[in-house]
Amino acid sequence: MKPTRGQLITAFLCLIPLAILFFEWRSGSLSANPIETLTQRTGRTAVILLLASLVCTPLRSMFGLSALLPIRKTLGLAAFGYAALHFLVFAGLDFEFNLGWIVPEIRQKFFIQIGLIALGLLIPLAITSVQKFQRGMAGNWRRLHRLVYPVMALVLWHYYLASKGDVLIPLIYLVIFAILMLFRIPPLSKISIGSKPRWLVRLNKFLLS
Amino acid sequence: LPLPSAGASVDELGNTLTSYDDIIGYTNYYEFSTDKNGPTRLAQNFKTSPWSVEVGGYVNNARSFSIDELKSLFDQEERIYRMRCVEAWSMVIPWVGFSLHKLLEIVEPTSDARFVRFETLYDPDQMPGQRNSFFPFPYIEGLRLDEAMHDLTIMATGLYGRDLSPQNGAPLRLVVPWKYGFKSIKSIVKIDLVGEMPTSLWMASGPNEYGFYANVNPNVPHPRWSQATERRIGEGGRIDTLLFNGYEEEVAYLYDGMDLSIDF
Repeated sequence: MKPTRGQLITAFLCLIPLAILFFEWRSGSLSANPIETLTQRTGRTAVILLLASLVCTPLRSMFGLSALLPIRKTLGLAAFGYAALHFLVFAGLDFEFNLGWIVPEIRQKFFIQIGLIALGLLIPLAITSVQKFQRGMAGNWRRLHRLVYPVMALVLWHYYLASKGDVLIPLIYLVIFAILMLFRIPPLSKISIGSKPRWLVRLNKFLLS
Repeated sequence: LPLPSAGASVDELGNTLTSYDDIIGYTNYYEFSTDKNGPTRLAQNFKTSPWSVEVGGYVNNARSFSIDELKSLFDQEERIYRMRCVEAWSMVIPWVGFSLHKLLEIVEPTSDARFVRFETLYDPDQMPGQRNSFFPFPYIEGLRLDEAMHDLTIMATGLYGRDLSPQNGAPLRLVVPWKYGFKSIKSIVKIDLVGEMPTSLWMASGPNEYGFYANVNPNVPHPRWSQATERRIGEGGRIDTLLFNGYEEEVAYLYDGMDLSIDF
Protein backbone atom coordinates (compact mmCIF):
# COMPACT_ATOMS: atom_id res chain seq x y z
CA MET A 1 0.00 0.00 0.00
CA LYS A 2 1.14 3.50 -0.76
CA PRO A 3 2.37 5.39 2.32
CA THR A 4 0.36 8.41 3.40
CA ARG A 5 1.80 11.89 3.41
CA GLY A 6 1.74 11.77 7.21
CA GLN A 7 3.84 8.61 7.12
CA LEU A 8 6.38 10.12 4.74
CA ILE A 9 6.77 13.20 6.93
CA THR A 10 7.08 11.01 10.04
CA ALA A 11 9.65 8.74 8.39
CA PHE A 12 11.68 11.78 7.37
CA LEU A 13 11.60 13.18 10.91
CA CYS A 14 12.55 9.78 12.35
CA LEU A 15 15.65 9.66 10.16
CA ILE A 16 16.97 13.00 11.42
CA PRO A 17 18.51 11.63 14.68
CA LEU A 18 20.24 8.94 12.61
CA ALA A 19 21.58 11.50 10.14
CA ILE A 20 22.90 13.67 12.99
CA LEU A 21 24.61 10.64 14.56
CA PHE A 22 26.13 9.71 11.22
CA PHE A 23 27.56 13.16 10.55
CA GLU A 24 28.87 13.49 14.11
CA TRP A 25 30.47 10.07 13.78
CA ARG A 26 32.16 11.04 10.52
CA SER A 27 33.41 14.38 11.84
CA GLY A 28 34.66 12.80 15.08
CA SER A 29 32.51 14.95 17.34
CA LEU A 30 30.74 12.12 19.18
CA SER A 31 32.81 12.73 22.37
CA ALA A 32 36.06 10.99 23.23
CA ASN A 33 34.09 7.78 23.70
CA PRO A 34 31.97 7.60 20.54
CA ILE A 35 30.69 4.08 21.12
CA GLU A 36 29.24 5.03 24.50
CA THR A 37 27.55 8.05 22.92
CA LEU A 38 26.18 5.95 20.04
CA THR A 39 24.80 3.40 22.50
CA GLN A 40 23.08 6.03 24.62
CA ARG A 41 21.70 8.09 21.75
CA THR A 42 20.26 5.16 19.74
CA GLY A 43 18.68 3.82 22.94
CA ARG A 44 17.19 7.16 23.92
CA THR A 45 15.80 7.74 20.42
CA ALA A 46 14.15 4.30 20.46
CA VAL A 47 12.48 5.08 23.81
CA ILE A 48 11.19 8.46 22.62
CA LEU A 49 9.82 7.05 19.36
CA LEU A 50 8.11 4.16 21.14
CA LEU A 51 6.49 6.63 23.54
CA ALA A 52 5.50 8.78 20.56
CA SER A 53 3.79 5.78 18.96
CA LEU A 54 1.69 5.44 22.12
CA VAL A 55 0.55 9.06 21.87
CA CYS A 56 -1.21 8.38 18.55
CA THR A 57 -4.21 6.40 19.77
CA PRO A 58 -5.42 8.84 22.47
CA LEU A 59 -4.88 11.82 20.16
CA ARG A 60 -6.76 10.07 17.39
CA SER A 61 -9.83 9.40 19.48
CA MET A 62 -9.72 12.81 21.14
CA PHE A 63 -9.43 14.85 17.95
CA GLY A 64 -10.77 12.36 15.46
CA LEU A 65 -7.47 12.29 13.58
CA SER A 66 -7.61 9.04 11.63
CA ALA A 67 -4.35 10.01 9.90
CA LEU A 68 -2.53 9.12 13.13
CA LEU A 69 -3.21 5.42 12.64
CA PRO A 70 -0.74 4.88 9.76
CA ILE A 71 1.67 7.31 11.47
CA ARG A 72 1.59 5.12 14.58
CA LYS A 73 2.90 2.23 12.51
CA THR A 74 5.75 4.32 11.11
CA LEU A 75 6.74 5.46 14.60
CA GLY A 76 6.63 1.90 15.91
CA LEU A 77 8.81 0.62 13.08
CA ALA A 78 11.27 3.49 13.53
CA ALA A 79 11.45 2.74 17.27
CA PHE A 80 12.21 -0.89 16.43
CA GLY A 81 14.88 0.26 13.96
CA TYR A 82 16.67 2.35 16.60
CA ALA A 83 16.32 -0.43 19.17
CA ALA A 84 17.89 -2.90 16.73
CA LEU A 85 20.66 -0.40 16.00
CA HIS A 86 21.17 0.07 19.75
CA PHE A 87 21.67 -3.70 20.06
CA LEU A 88 24.02 -3.80 17.07
CA VAL A 89 26.17 -1.02 18.55
CA PHE A 90 26.36 -3.01 21.80
CA ALA A 91 27.10 -6.38 20.22
CA GLY A 92 29.08 -5.27 17.18
CA LEU A 93 30.87 -2.01 17.84
CA ASP A 94 31.27 -2.26 21.60
CA PHE A 95 31.81 -6.01 22.03
CA GLU A 96 33.06 -6.69 18.48
CA PHE A 97 30.68 -9.66 18.00
CA ASN A 98 32.96 -11.53 20.39
CA LEU A 99 30.72 -14.17 21.99
CA GLY A 100 33.34 -14.79 24.67
CA TRP A 101 32.63 -11.23 25.86
CA ILE A 102 28.97 -10.88 24.96
CA VAL A 103 27.65 -14.07 26.59
CA PRO A 104 29.05 -13.38 30.09
CA GLU A 105 27.97 -9.77 29.73
CA ILE A 106 24.37 -10.85 29.11
CA ARG A 107 24.53 -13.51 31.83
CA GLN A 108 25.79 -11.08 34.44
CA LYS A 109 23.66 -8.09 33.66
CA PHE A 110 19.98 -8.08 34.44
CA PHE A 111 19.37 -4.78 32.67
CA ILE A 112 20.72 -6.21 29.41
CA GLN A 113 18.46 -9.26 29.77
CA ILE A 114 15.45 -6.98 30.15
CA GLY A 115 16.49 -4.97 27.11
CA LEU A 116 16.90 -8.14 25.05
CA ILE A 117 13.45 -9.42 26.04
CA ALA A 118 11.93 -6.09 25.03
CA LEU A 119 13.74 -6.15 21.68
CA GLY A 120 12.72 -9.79 21.13
CA LEU A 121 9.07 -8.95 21.77
CA LEU A 122 9.24 -6.08 19.30
CA ILE A 123 10.25 -8.43 16.46
CA PRO A 124 6.82 -10.08 15.94
CA LEU A 125 5.21 -6.65 16.20
CA ALA A 126 7.47 -5.27 13.50
CA ILE A 127 6.87 -8.27 11.21
CA THR A 128 3.10 -8.24 11.60
CA SER A 129 2.87 -4.52 10.96
CA VAL A 130 2.96 -5.41 7.26
CA GLN A 131 -0.53 -4.76 5.89
CA LYS A 132 -1.31 -8.24 4.58
CA PHE A 133 -0.53 -9.91 7.93
CA GLN A 134 -2.75 -7.38 9.57
CA ARG A 135 -5.75 -8.40 7.45
CA GLY A 136 -5.13 -12.11 7.79
CA MET A 137 -4.89 -11.99 11.58
CA ALA A 138 -8.08 -10.05 12.24
CA GLY A 139 -8.70 -9.76 16.00
CA ASN A 140 -5.49 -11.56 16.86
CA TRP A 141 -3.51 -8.68 15.42
CA ARG A 142 -4.96 -6.27 17.96
CA ARG A 143 -4.34 -8.68 20.78
CA LEU A 144 -0.75 -9.30 19.67
CA HIS A 145 -0.01 -5.60 19.37
CA ARG A 146 -1.10 -4.96 22.93
CA LEU A 147 2.35 -6.40 23.67
CA VAL A 148 3.66 -2.90 23.09
CA TYR A 149 2.52 -1.96 26.62
CA PRO A 150 4.63 -4.52 28.50
CA VAL A 151 7.46 -3.81 26.03
CA MET A 152 7.33 -0.10 26.90
CA ALA A 153 7.44 -0.98 30.60
CA LEU A 154 10.44 -3.28 30.05
CA VAL A 155 12.21 -0.63 28.00
CA LEU A 156 11.79 1.97 30.74
CA TRP A 157 12.95 -0.52 33.38
CA HIS A 158 16.02 -1.23 31.21
CA TYR A 159 16.68 2.52 30.87
CA TYR A 160 16.22 3.07 34.61
CA LEU A 161 18.69 0.29 35.51
CA ALA A 162 21.20 1.47 32.90
CA SER A 163 21.29 5.00 34.36
CA LYS A 164 24.03 5.80 36.81
CA GLY A 165 22.52 7.41 39.90
CA ASP A 166 20.61 10.14 38.12
CA VAL A 167 17.35 8.47 37.03
CA LEU A 168 15.36 11.68 36.45
CA ILE A 169 14.90 11.18 32.70
CA PRO A 170 13.67 7.56 32.85
CA LEU A 171 11.30 8.60 35.65
CA ILE A 172 9.90 11.44 33.54
CA TYR A 173 9.31 8.97 30.69
CA LEU A 174 7.65 6.61 33.16
CA VAL A 175 5.22 9.36 34.21
CA ILE A 176 4.42 10.11 30.54
CA PHE A 177 3.86 6.39 29.91
CA ALA A 178 1.55 6.16 32.94
CA ILE A 179 -0.49 9.14 31.71
CA LEU A 180 -0.75 7.59 28.23
CA MET A 181 -1.97 4.35 29.80
CA LEU A 182 -4.63 6.23 31.77
CA PHE A 183 -5.98 7.54 28.47
CA ARG A 184 -6.70 3.96 27.47
CA ILE A 185 -9.12 3.41 30.35
CA PRO A 186 -12.64 4.87 30.46
CA PRO A 187 -13.70 7.56 31.07
CA LEU A 188 -10.49 9.18 29.79
CA SER A 189 -10.47 6.98 26.70
CA LYS A 190 -13.90 8.36 25.78
CA ILE A 191 -12.91 12.01 25.79
CA SER A 192 -13.52 13.62 22.41
CA ILE A 193 -13.89 17.17 21.17
CA GLY A 194 -17.00 16.22 19.24
CA SER A 195 -17.24 18.32 16.08
CA LYS A 196 -13.84 19.08 14.59
CA PRO A 197 -12.79 22.59 13.55
CA ARG A 198 -12.25 22.88 9.79
CA TRP A 199 -8.47 23.21 9.97
CA LEU A 200 -8.28 19.90 11.83
CA VAL A 201 -10.38 18.19 9.17
CA ARG A 202 -8.10 19.64 6.50
CA LEU A 203 -4.98 18.60 8.40
CA ASN A 204 -6.29 15.07 8.71
CA LYS A 205 -7.07 14.94 5.02
CA PHE A 206 -3.66 16.35 4.13
CA LEU A 207 -1.84 13.74 6.25
CA LEU A 208 -3.97 10.90 4.92
CA SER A 209 -3.52 11.65 1.22
CA LEU B 1 49.58 28.48 24.07
CA PRO B 2 52.40 25.97 23.72
CA LEU B 3 51.34 22.35 23.60
CA PRO B 4 51.38 20.74 27.02
CA SER B 5 54.26 18.37 27.47
CA ALA B 6 54.93 15.29 29.50
CA GLY B 7 58.32 13.89 30.45
CA ALA B 8 57.69 10.53 28.85
CA SER B 9 55.25 9.39 26.18
CA VAL B 10 54.40 5.94 27.56
CA ASP B 11 53.71 4.37 30.96
CA GLU B 12 55.87 1.60 32.46
CA LEU B 13 53.89 -1.04 30.52
CA GLY B 14 54.38 0.76 27.22
CA ASN B 15 50.86 2.26 27.00
CA THR B 16 50.64 5.48 24.99
CA LEU B 17 49.51 8.59 26.84
CA THR B 18 45.92 9.69 26.24
CA SER B 19 45.77 13.01 24.40
CA TYR B 20 45.51 16.18 26.47
CA ASP B 21 42.31 17.14 24.64
CA ASP B 22 40.60 13.87 25.55
CA ILE B 23 41.73 14.14 29.19
CA ILE B 24 40.29 17.64 29.58
CA GLY B 25 37.28 17.01 27.31
CA TYR B 26 35.86 13.77 28.71
CA THR B 27 35.33 13.75 32.45
CA ASN B 28 32.98 12.54 35.14
CA TYR B 29 32.39 15.47 37.44
CA TYR B 30 28.78 15.34 38.65
CA GLU B 31 29.27 18.55 40.64
CA PHE B 32 29.05 20.28 37.27
CA SER B 33 27.11 17.93 35.01
CA THR B 34 26.33 14.26 34.52
CA ASP B 35 27.39 14.60 30.87
CA LYS B 36 30.98 13.79 30.02
CA ASN B 37 31.60 17.02 28.13
CA GLY B 38 29.40 19.18 30.39
CA PRO B 39 32.09 19.88 33.04
CA THR B 40 34.52 21.16 30.39
CA ARG B 41 32.09 23.96 29.63
CA LEU B 42 30.50 24.52 33.05
CA ALA B 43 33.71 24.50 35.09
CA GLN B 44 35.49 27.19 33.07
CA ASN B 45 34.98 29.94 35.67
CA PHE B 46 35.49 27.72 38.71
CA LYS B 47 37.52 29.67 41.25
CA THR B 48 40.62 27.71 42.28
CA SER B 49 42.48 30.54 43.96
CA PRO B 50 42.67 31.30 46.82
CA TRP B 51 42.27 27.69 47.94
CA SER B 52 43.12 25.97 51.16
CA VAL B 53 42.87 22.46 52.50
CA GLU B 54 41.99 21.77 56.11
CA VAL B 55 43.84 18.72 57.48
CA GLY B 56 42.63 17.49 60.85
CA GLY B 57 40.99 14.75 62.87
CA TYR B 58 43.25 12.27 64.67
CA VAL B 59 46.51 14.15 64.05
CA ASN B 60 49.04 15.92 66.25
CA ASN B 61 49.41 18.97 64.00
CA ALA B 62 46.01 19.87 62.59
CA ARG B 63 46.36 22.80 60.22
CA SER B 64 45.34 24.23 56.93
CA PHE B 65 47.53 24.46 53.82
CA SER B 66 47.17 26.86 50.93
CA ILE B 67 47.59 25.36 47.49
CA ASP B 68 50.76 27.42 46.95
CA GLU B 69 52.17 26.13 50.21
CA LEU B 70 51.55 22.52 49.15
CA LYS B 71 53.29 23.15 45.84
CA SER B 72 56.37 24.61 47.50
CA LEU B 73 56.53 22.22 50.46
CA PHE B 74 56.74 19.14 48.25
CA ASP B 75 58.62 18.54 45.01
CA GLN B 76 56.11 18.29 42.21
CA GLU B 77 56.93 15.13 40.30
CA GLU B 78 55.41 13.56 37.21
CA ARG B 79 53.62 10.23 37.63
CA ILE B 80 52.22 8.47 34.57
CA TYR B 81 49.26 6.40 35.74
CA ARG B 82 46.54 4.42 34.07
CA MET B 83 43.11 5.58 35.16
CA ARG B 84 40.36 2.97 34.95
CA CYS B 85 36.82 4.30 35.31
CA VAL B 86 34.18 2.00 36.77
CA GLU B 87 32.28 2.64 33.51
CA ALA B 88 34.82 0.45 31.67
CA TRP B 89 36.83 3.16 29.94
CA SER B 90 40.39 4.15 30.75
CA MET B 91 43.10 6.70 30.07
CA VAL B 92 46.85 7.00 30.58
CA ILE B 93 47.54 10.31 32.30
CA PRO B 94 50.81 12.09 33.12
CA TRP B 95 49.91 13.62 36.49
CA VAL B 96 51.96 16.16 38.36
CA GLY B 97 51.84 16.02 42.14
CA PHE B 98 53.31 14.58 45.32
CA SER B 99 52.81 11.47 47.43
CA LEU B 100 50.04 11.91 49.98
CA HIS B 101 52.19 10.31 52.71
CA LYS B 102 54.47 13.37 52.65
CA LEU B 103 51.54 15.55 53.66
CA LEU B 104 50.31 13.05 56.26
CA GLU B 105 53.80 12.83 57.81
CA ILE B 106 53.69 16.59 58.48
CA VAL B 107 50.40 16.46 60.35
CA GLU B 108 51.36 13.23 62.17
CA PRO B 109 48.39 10.88 62.43
CA THR B 110 47.85 9.59 65.97
CA SER B 111 47.46 5.91 66.83
CA ASP B 112 43.65 6.32 66.70
CA ALA B 113 43.75 7.18 62.99
CA ARG B 114 42.72 4.23 60.81
CA PHE B 115 41.13 5.84 57.77
CA VAL B 116 41.49 9.05 55.79
CA ARG B 117 38.34 10.92 54.79
CA PHE B 118 38.40 13.42 51.90
CA GLU B 119 35.82 16.03 51.08
CA THR B 120 35.20 18.09 47.92
CA LEU B 121 34.22 21.77 48.00
CA TYR B 122 30.48 22.28 48.48
CA ASP B 123 29.42 25.40 46.60
CA PRO B 124 26.25 24.96 44.51
CA ASP B 125 26.61 28.50 43.14
CA GLN B 126 29.81 27.46 41.42
CA MET B 127 28.95 23.80 41.04
CA PRO B 128 25.39 23.68 39.69
CA GLY B 129 25.33 19.87 39.63
CA GLN B 130 25.38 19.89 43.44
CA ARG B 131 21.70 20.89 43.29
CA ASN B 132 20.95 17.45 41.79
CA SER B 133 19.03 15.82 44.64
CA PHE B 134 19.82 12.29 43.45
CA PHE B 135 23.24 12.59 45.08
CA PRO B 136 24.13 13.40 48.71
CA PHE B 137 26.70 16.14 48.06
CA PRO B 138 29.36 17.08 49.12
CA TYR B 139 31.42 14.32 47.53
CA ILE B 140 33.15 12.19 50.14
CA GLU B 141 35.83 9.57 49.60
CA GLY B 142 38.02 7.54 51.87
CA LEU B 143 41.08 5.34 52.07
CA ARG B 144 42.42 3.00 54.71
CA LEU B 145 45.46 4.66 56.32
CA ASP B 146 47.91 2.14 54.80
CA GLU B 147 46.43 2.76 51.34
CA ALA B 148 46.77 6.50 51.87
CA MET B 149 50.39 6.08 53.00
CA HIS B 150 51.29 3.99 49.94
CA ASP B 151 53.80 5.78 47.72
CA LEU B 152 51.62 5.31 44.60
CA THR B 153 48.85 7.39 46.19
CA ILE B 154 49.35 10.99 45.14
CA MET B 155 47.77 14.39 45.48
CA ALA B 156 47.77 15.78 41.94
CA THR B 157 48.06 19.49 41.17
CA GLY B 158 48.61 19.22 37.43
CA LEU B 159 48.78 17.06 34.34
CA TYR B 160 50.84 17.21 31.17
CA GLY B 161 53.10 19.70 32.93
CA ARG B 162 50.26 22.19 33.41
CA ASP B 163 48.04 23.12 36.32
CA LEU B 164 44.97 20.90 36.58
CA SER B 165 42.00 22.11 34.60
CA PRO B 166 38.86 22.67 36.73
CA GLN B 167 37.05 19.71 35.18
CA ASN B 168 39.96 17.46 36.14
CA GLY B 169 39.70 18.46 39.79
CA ALA B 170 41.70 21.68 40.17
CA PRO B 171 43.45 22.78 42.18
CA LEU B 172 44.05 19.60 44.16
CA ARG B 173 42.79 16.05 43.75
CA LEU B 174 43.58 12.56 44.88
CA VAL B 175 44.88 9.92 42.46
CA VAL B 176 44.84 6.26 43.51
CA PRO B 177 45.79 4.42 40.33
CA TRP B 178 44.84 0.88 41.37
CA LYS B 179 41.27 1.87 42.25
CA TYR B 180 38.34 2.86 40.04
CA GLY B 181 38.46 6.51 39.04
CA PHE B 182 35.64 7.65 41.33
CA LYS B 183 37.91 7.04 44.37
CA SER B 184 40.22 9.78 43.11
CA ILE B 185 38.20 12.66 44.60
CA LYS B 186 38.50 16.12 43.04
CA SER B 187 38.82 19.73 44.31
CA ILE B 188 39.57 18.69 47.90
CA VAL B 189 39.00 21.18 50.74
CA LYS B 190 39.15 18.84 53.73
CA ILE B 191 41.21 15.84 54.78
CA ASP B 192 40.38 14.14 58.08
CA LEU B 193 42.10 11.27 59.83
CA VAL B 194 39.32 9.21 61.35
CA GLY B 195 38.77 5.96 63.25
CA GLU B 196 35.77 4.58 61.37
CA MET B 197 35.47 3.66 57.70
CA PRO B 198 34.03 6.74 55.94
CA THR B 199 30.92 6.34 53.78
CA SER B 200 31.68 7.70 50.33
CA LEU B 201 29.10 9.46 48.17
CA TRP B 202 28.88 6.48 45.86
CA MET B 203 28.57 4.00 48.75
CA ALA B 204 25.66 6.11 50.02
CA SER B 205 23.89 6.37 46.67
CA GLY B 206 24.46 2.80 45.43
CA PRO B 207 25.61 0.48 48.23
CA ASN B 208 25.30 -2.71 46.19
CA GLU B 209 27.21 -1.18 43.26
CA TYR B 210 30.02 0.76 44.86
CA GLY B 211 32.06 -0.53 47.77
CA PHE B 212 34.59 1.22 49.96
CA TYR B 213 37.64 -0.44 48.42
CA ALA B 214 36.69 -0.16 44.71
CA ASN B 215 39.92 -1.83 43.62
CA VAL B 216 40.08 -2.40 39.88
CA ASN B 217 39.23 -6.07 39.57
CA PRO B 218 38.27 -7.88 36.35
CA ASN B 219 36.88 -10.79 38.41
CA VAL B 220 34.27 -8.80 40.30
CA PRO B 221 31.50 -7.77 37.90
CA HIS B 222 29.48 -4.59 38.26
CA PRO B 223 25.71 -4.73 37.52
CA ARG B 224 26.09 -2.17 34.72
CA TRP B 225 29.53 -2.31 33.19
CA SER B 226 31.87 -5.10 32.19
CA GLN B 227 34.87 -5.09 34.47
CA ALA B 228 36.69 -7.82 32.54
CA THR B 229 37.59 -5.52 29.66
CA GLU B 230 37.87 -1.81 29.04
CA ARG B 231 38.06 0.72 26.26
CA ARG B 232 41.12 2.96 26.17
CA ILE B 233 39.95 6.44 25.22
CA GLY B 234 41.31 7.48 21.83
CA GLU B 235 42.09 3.91 20.81
CA GLY B 236 39.89 1.35 19.08
CA GLY B 237 38.78 -1.97 20.51
CA ARG B 238 38.64 -3.46 23.97
CA ILE B 239 41.57 -4.56 26.10
CA ASP B 240 41.67 -6.83 29.13
CA THR B 241 41.38 -5.10 32.48
CA LEU B 242 44.28 -5.93 34.78
CA LEU B 243 43.91 -6.86 38.44
CA PHE B 244 44.60 -3.73 40.53
CA ASN B 245 44.82 -1.91 37.18
CA GLY B 246 48.26 -3.43 36.59
CA TYR B 247 49.70 -2.33 39.95
CA GLU B 248 49.27 -5.76 41.54
CA GLU B 249 52.94 -6.16 42.41
CA GLU B 250 52.98 -2.89 44.29
CA VAL B 251 49.68 -3.08 46.16
CA ALA B 252 48.34 -6.65 46.40
CA TYR B 253 49.88 -7.12 49.87
CA LEU B 254 47.53 -4.47 51.25
CA TYR B 255 44.66 -6.91 50.78
CA ASP B 256 46.24 -10.15 51.98
CA GLY B 257 43.60 -12.42 53.47
CA MET B 258 40.69 -10.32 52.23
CA ASP B 259 37.94 -11.63 49.94
CA LEU B 260 37.81 -8.89 47.32
CA SER B 261 34.42 -10.01 46.04
CA ILE B 262 32.97 -9.22 49.48
CA ASP B 263 35.11 -6.15 50.13
CA PHE B 264 34.58 -4.81 46.60
